[in-house]
Amino acid sequence: MLSNILETAFHLIFTLNEDLIEIISLSLKVTISALVISVIISIPFGAFLVLYRNKLQSMVILISNTLMGMPPVVLGLIIYTLVSKRGIFGFLDILYTPSAMIVAQTLLITPIVVSLTYEEIYKKYKDYYLFLNSLNLSNFSKLKTLIYECRYALITVTLTGFGRASAEVGAVMIVGGNINHFTRVMTTAIAFETSKGSIELAVALGLILILISFMITLIIKSLRKIK
Amino acid sequence: MKILPIKIENLSYTIKDSEILKNINIFSDEKKITIIAGNNGSGKTTLLKFMHGLIEDPSNSISWGSNSIREIKEQQSMVFQTPILLNRTTFENILYVAKKKKVNKKHSVNKIIEKLNLESISNTDARYLSGGEKQKVAIAMSIIGNPTIIFLDEPTSQLDPVYKNEIESIISELSKDGTKIFMTSHDISQIKRIGEEIIFLDKGEIIFNGKLIEFLDQDISNVIKNYISYG
Repeated sequence: MLSNILETAFHLIFTLNEDLIEIISLSLKVTISALVISVIISIPFGAFLVLYRNKLQSMVILISNTLMGMPPVVLGLIIYTLVSKRGIFGFLDILYTPSAMIVAQTLLITPIVVSLTYEEIYKKYKDYYLFLNSLNLSNFSKLKTLIYECRYALITVTLTGFGRASAEVGAVMIVGGNINHFTRVMTTAIAFETSKGSIELAVALGLILILISFMITLIIKSLRKIK
Repeated sequence: MKILPIKIENLSYTIKDSEILKNINIFSDEKKITIIAGNNGSGKTTLLKFMHGLIEDPSNSISWGSNSIREIKEQQSMVFQTPILLNRTTFENILYVAKKKKVNKKHSVNKIIEKLNLESISNTDARYLSGGEKQKVAIAMSIIGNPTIIFLDEPTSQLDPVYKNEIESIISELSKDGTKIFMTSHDISQIKRIGEEIIFLDKGEIIFNGKLIEFLDQDISNVIKNYISYG
């Protein structure tokens, strides 16, 4: 039985099954969009927190670290209440759309990317503190230098965010609704297909997710060597 | 811009009830190599950081000619005991400083690489340089843009005799070319070789400030006597 399932799953992958490709494409579109938005916000913000160390910064890091551990379903629920018809962002009309899923994933990974960026840049700043200050640089100039010097570490941070977002199921299920051909992504499709007994497509998607995860791990490992 | 004489008047510095510097007064008006000497924990590096401006002096006790530290920041540079280099090649490290100091970039970098004989390691990543090579690159970074003052914090303390000698020669050359050098050291043989003016600190206080010959000849205090004889 298992061999039949695997055979069908591989068949779906190698024949580039239309449904499979559609789900993978939407998953990548949602995750990459969320990642880009998150990275644009989080990396400069994480670096900024290192340079402007004060009480506010400690509080932001504490909040960020707390949010890192927040269960995705709770986050999904919060976003649901905000963007549903009666919520304060109801006028945006994004509930059960890929946009709502992008918002959910962005909010899910931003605390992770901020915290990890802060850690990496803080380590580097400790090494370069005297040098950068001896050159009498502006804070903006220091920020640019630190981000550049941490580039490999920050790619690793970005990939960690990608891995976290692509594996997420709870929040995108709540705000996306898992609508066929519209908001169905890999993780929600796996949950749905398994529950209705159509395991072949779920296995095929699972294999793709494992492949993505393997590739991310491989890249992170190579970058650690460069670092 | 005239940077000499440097005047420090009544500079004191305390951290958590511990007096790091006590009533420091310095007057120096010659473009010579001034060595700030003393035993470990005497306050040498702290004083150097104050003179450079790395530690802010709220009482404005320090002036360079008629200028404040802020006004001469562009004209000075610093070399640290452990060389701090970016994760880039030698050339790129020097180029980075050139860009920040807004000097004629590639030409100046190539000239300095040639001057300090760094051609063979020009394209080597800083991570793969030896300690001596790293310190030479750090000195190259500090002299780009021809600063009028260079501060060196025990630049040779971690180096073998060959590199020590090479770096001392570079420092002497810079001084001959008119750069004012302030350098911390606790190596008495090095002080004898390149020192011209000596400021000797003990527990945050200056107990000698004068010429090298006077420092070596006079029986000033037991601390200095021991320092010279054991060094």
